[in-house]
Amino acid sequence: MITATTLKLNLGPQHPSTHGVLRLLLELDGEKILSCEPDVGYLHRGMEKMAEGMTYIQYLPTVDRIDYLAGCFYSELLCRTVEGAMGVNIPERIRAIRVTLLELNRIASHLLWIGAFLMDLGALSPFFYAMREREMILRYFEKLTGQRMMYNYFVFGGVRKDIEYLEDIEEIIKILPYKLNDYEKIITDNLIFLQRTKGKGVLEPTTALNYSITGVNLRASGVEYDLRKTDKLYEGFEFTPVVLEGKDSWARYKARILEIKESIKLIEQGVNKLKENTNFEQKHINPLNLKLPEGEYYSEIEAPRGLASIYIKSTGEDKPYRLKWRTGSYYSVNLLRKLLVGEYLNDAIAIAGSLDIILPEVDK
Amino acid sequence: MDINELKDIFGECELCQDKVCVKSKLYEVLEYIKNNYSFNVLKSITAVDLGSDVELLYRLFSTEDEENAVISIKVQNEADSVIDLFESARADENEIYDMFGIKFIGNEDLKRLYMPENWEGFPLRKDYVQDDTRLAWNDNSDNA
Amino acid sequence: MNYLYHLYMEWLSKFGIPELFGNITFYIIPFCIVAIALLIVVLALVLIERKLLGWLTQRKGPNRVGFWGVLQTIADAFKLLIKENITPDRSDKFLFNLAPILVFIPVMTVLGIIPYSSEFTFVNTSTNVILYLILVAFPILSIFLGGWASNNKYSLMGAARGIAQILSYEVPITFVVLSVIVLASSMNMTGITYAQYSRLGALGWFCFPCFIGFVIMFICVLAELNRCPFDLPEAESELICGYNTEYSGMRFALFYLSEYALLFANAMFISILFLGGYLSPFGTYLSYFIFGDTHLASAMVYFEQAFWLFLKAFLVIFVIIWIRATLPRLASFDLLKFSWAYLLPLSIFNLFLAVIIKFITGGAMCGLS
Repeated sequence: MITATTLKLNLGPQHPSTHGVLRLLLELDGEKILSCEPDVGYLHRGMEKMAEGMTYIQYLPTVDRIDYLAGCFYSELLCRTVEGAMGVNIPERIRAIRVTLLELNRIASHLLWIGAFLMDLGALSPFFYAMREREMILRYFEKLTGQRMMYNYFVFGGVRKDIEYLEDIEEIIKILPYKLNDYEKIITDNLIFLQRTKGKGVLEPTTALNYSITGVNLRASGVEYDLRKTDKLYEGFEFTPVVLEGKDSWARYKARILEIKESIKLIEQGVNKLKENTNFEQKHINPLNLKLPEGEYYSEIEAPRGLASIYIKSTGEDKPYRLKWRTGSYYSVNLLRKLLVGEYLNDAIAIAGSLDIILPEVDK
Repeated sequence: MDINELKDIFGECELCQDKVCVKSKLYEVLEYIKNNYSFNVLKSITAVDLGSDVELLYRLFSTEDEENAVISIKVQNEADSVIDLFESARADENEIYDMFGIKFIGNEDLKRLYMPENWEGFPLRKDYVQDDTRLAWNDNSDNA
Repeated sequence: MNYLYHLYMEWLSKFGIPELFGNITFYIIPFCIVAIALLIVVLALVLIERKLLGWLTQRKGPNRVGFWGVLQTIADAFKLLIKENITPDRSDKFLFNLAPILVFIPVMTVLGIIPYSSEFTFVNTSTNVILYLILVAFPILSIFLGGWASNNKYSLMGAARGIAQILSYEVPITFVVLSVIVLASSMNMTGITYAQYSRLGALGWFCFPCFIGFVIMFICVLAELNRCPFDLPEAESELICGYNTEYSGMRFALFYLSEYALLFANAMFISILFLGGYLSPFGTYLSYFIFGDTHLASAMVYFEQAFWLFLKAFLVIFVIIWIRATLPRLASFDLLKFSWAYLLPLSIFNLFLAVIIKFITGGAMCGLS
């Protein structure tokens, strides 16, 4: 007698397309997914527990590791919270430096995503193309900070040293639009790509909000929510948030391409400001006896993978009493429970890829 | 959001600093806020161990009004689950269970998330002592 | 082949070696040649693919081992040979070991029935097109065996996908081959090649009257070879490595080898069916042009024919690699739909077209000769 049985499949933690060590417990009927249970924690480094035993300046270099593709954002969060707590306003030039570097970092992160996503879909070349462009940005960061990924460049009250090699940035933002056109030629209107992404992984805005999805994924579902609009750091910078109505994987891809273009605009403005205002001064916060006044501090930022926020509770000691990170990817992983059900396995890979999940951010 | 209105309905609500502190009936408060003030996003749940009890901070956000709100509740070892209202709470509650050992009533999926399944103790509790014998640096370690 | 046989026998009788020995060795030697040629072709193909992919993706490709990286694949093959052969604990050990051997036999045989030049076909049967179709469908059996015996869910799914894929793409291939058979009035590859001869060279090739069939054949061959964009049975980002996930060392090398040998064989098959096989694209052979009407020229023609066939095959392979560098993978459902809903009706239409062309032109040739 033939009985219908389902197949339990462990997708990950070691799997080429889970982008790290995500484990998805799938129940399959043939190739159709009946249920999905994400399991995380293979990369847990205890960032929150660690903070409780470290002074702020000791903790600062480690926060880049929360998201190794966009480390700047987490340094900025910690710096900004400490500056806010100490009542320090950073000077104009520092602000321009930070915006420029954050946006460069965002582009690098999105570029890697484009490559990895297309790799998930089985296309080979876009990965190398994206890596080539990302390499320009990483080279620049290496030149400036001595590091390719964990920059540790932002410090409390400023940056480690004045920005240099502005002509390199100008070169990058001059080349990138042409390269993006190349991507669009090879990817965007590709028939197979459209078939794999159009109408796949539809994320309704209400669902997205209910699952606390933020960032590009939310904006690709048609909700205009970009923290940079209200961010004090971005004051005086002009840009339009990318909002698309597609709701599907293709919209999420397109939104990232458009967001790179917006970032290029922001970097242009940042570079112009840096050229006008060459007066480099830092606000000095002595990190060695830095004690945050008693109280609770919260700040958030628009990271490439959605809203990132930090919560610090201080009791007036030199170490935080409690420090909590909120990262975008963690909620995207939670969304997989809903989004993957009813999809076929190879669509599921594409959908999970389109959400831009990165595991160090999930596990913290 | 009107704090007085909340006070009238639920009592026991007060505004401490910039957050709304409730004593109990967390689920009802959140449900009311969600339905009447269009707070449709639960950005995160933060747990803070205060020693005697654990404070839970619910960070709400409304996309219509672009408004933030923080609801705070102090709990011992159990709290109401809000996954019926906000699906994203499933992730937060699981993390808090893993790190603080707070059981969320109504959430069936609670399991050890970051820590190994048979781990004892909850690391972010202030009374947590790292003396697990499986850690190589502990003196009483078996595999030292 | 008869000509070669007589030459060989004459040569042996000079040394007084009995005819029986000659009769036996005459059929063994070609297979030795095929086996060695196969290895060389595969090693070259792997290198070419890696180099081409490298260039297409803005990299250098292998360039460390040997001059220009020529020894890279040999080093890789050697590495695979000295690796430990791991058999999964709960696998069906007999079938697990059988699968790589089974995949290799038909691949070896296939290369023996292809006419490399007008005098050089090891086994020339009157219906070797059909024989070819049967033999190239054979490796799917070992794909399934390997996937099933591995006791790995990814392997099993890869095997299941492979079966579904090959089953649905074999049907259009058969119809397309039928239309070529109709045009050529022959089921023999040499016969098909001859049928494409015309004084105008390339214009007589079947890819012109049978263009739809040519395109369908190309797509189906991609599917049958599990090449991108139809590489679902071994889709890396989904099934890790598909049916050969659990294979290592020599067994993996056999799968790998047969994959590339099949790629080569299929490229030659396309060249024979649609691109005039070993015929020169200029109508006359260049050898006559260079050496005049001499004895040397008629000997050189055989090599020139092989050269043309290989050139066409490598052109086909180049396009296949180019596609791999460009396109993403199809979804499994779309893959089956594509075959049954579009390719199959089109291939039947193509068969009708071929019959009509044959009816109008009447004679043995369809073209302009």
